[in-house]
Amino acid sequence: MDVQVEDRGAFSWVQVGLEGEEQFVSESGAMFRSSTNIDIEVTTRGGKGGGILSGIGRSLAGESFFLSTYRSLDGQPGDVGLAPTHQGEIRKIELDGSARWLCTGGSYLGSARSLELDTAFQGIGGMLSGESLSFMGVTGEGPLVVTAFGKLTEIEVDGNFTVDTGHVVAFEETLSYSVGKAAKSFIKSFLVGEGLVLKFSGRGRVYVQSHNPDEFGKSLGSMLPPRREG
Amino acid sequence: MDHTIEARPTYAYLELTLNPGEKVATEGGAMAWMSTGLKIQTSTRGGLMAGLKRSMLTGESFFQNTYEAINEPGILGLTPSQPGDIVAHQMTGKELLLEKGAYLASHPDVKLSSNFQGLSGLFNEGMFVLRATGDGLLFFNSYGSIEKIDLDGEYIVDNGLAVAWDADLSYTITRARSLGSFLFSDQLLMRFSGRGSLWVQSRKPRVLASWAHPFRPVQRRDRR
Repeated sequence: MDVQVEDRGAFSWVQVGLEGEEQFVSESGAMFRSSTNIDIEVTTRGGKGGGILSGIGRSLAGESFFLSTYRSLDGQPGDVGLAPTHQGEIRKIELDGSARWLCTGGSYLGSARSLELDTAFQGIGGMLSGESLSFMGVTGEGPLVVTAFGKLTEIEVDGNFTVDTGHVVAFEETLSYSVGKAAKSFIKSFLVGEGLVLKFSGRGRVYVQSHNPDEFGKSLGSMLPPRREG
Repeated sequence: MDHTIEARPTYAYLELTLNPGEKVATEGGAMAWMSTGLKIQTSTRGGLMAGLKRSMLTGESFFQNTYEAINEPGILGLTPSQPGDIVAHQMTGKELLLEKGAYLASHPDVKLSSNFQGLSGLFNEGMFVLRATGDGLLFFNSYGSIEKIDLDGEYIVDNGLAVAWDADLSYTITRARSLGSFLFSDQLLMRFSGRGSLWVQSRKPRVLASWAHPFRPVQRRDRR
């Protein structure tokens, strides 16, 4: 399996080469081109976990409900081009199996079929706040591809570090984390204009994005004509 | 006519230098800056019907502007309406088909017309694509970065993401193959075959638009 990030700045994409029995999974709809010997199967399953429930879990995590699985029909080399919705950078992370990785909503682009996908929730506090505080968990050995809105930066945390939830892309679970508010009290937090944050401690890698998709969506949405009530 | 494409592939813009007597045709509204000495001619290029067909069927503007340097060289800066990439393509008599909205500028010897794509075109972004013929430079653009694929055989592109292709290539519209896909996904695919060049864009404006949709304010239903 050959996974190459084609770095085109804001309009980067990923090229995945598959042969033999190799399989790759992506967010459904991410494929924008492929060779003709590639089979695309759209399922609610990913990795070894699966079924409708995990599909719903993923959609709560801000990921699309469905995943696409690609494989070579004839075992001969084939290729798939994958691109995210937003303008932004893409990174491949080689998982070595030592720790689970957590991706925030919308930042998972794809992974080898050998990796297991699950959904991790952050409890009722997260639900009430209206911000997506559930994660896509990825375990196993193989390549994972994440995408950012804007610039993607890797931070080696050693000690304590705080990131706004809208700017977290992915992190290693070697870090312990808790959801909190930026300021001490809820009122103060609100006045400061900062929402929820993830407080990391320990050692591990965190990927952050320069821009917050939800904030962009809100600034854009208010300028659009209203839609009918569902 | 000299050209440079700057700021690829995110905010690509085209800067042309015209020598006295040289002309270039452009998409209406693409001019961002220019030397004051350039003469502008606005026309429907090819007559009223050609203009109407172009604007209604292929999403290009009704008017096309022609810029000409008269006594001294002049600079013309052209920018597409969407951020993304621009390709400079030298036409050598071979016909090229362009996706709706992809046209940016061309040498006056390059002729443009709309081309009916048959029923398969119904599923494409529009039923008509723009057909370019003749000799000379042609500039086209898209949202996202553009990648050129030299095809000899078959290749699949997501519907609406093919920016331009040699007319020697033929395509059919298919769905993602398996039963699961048929039931759950609306992904329509363009299956190209033949020998020639194909340009593919890496982002779809429609996907961005549907992502932005839930952020729109909600209009309450009148309950009376």
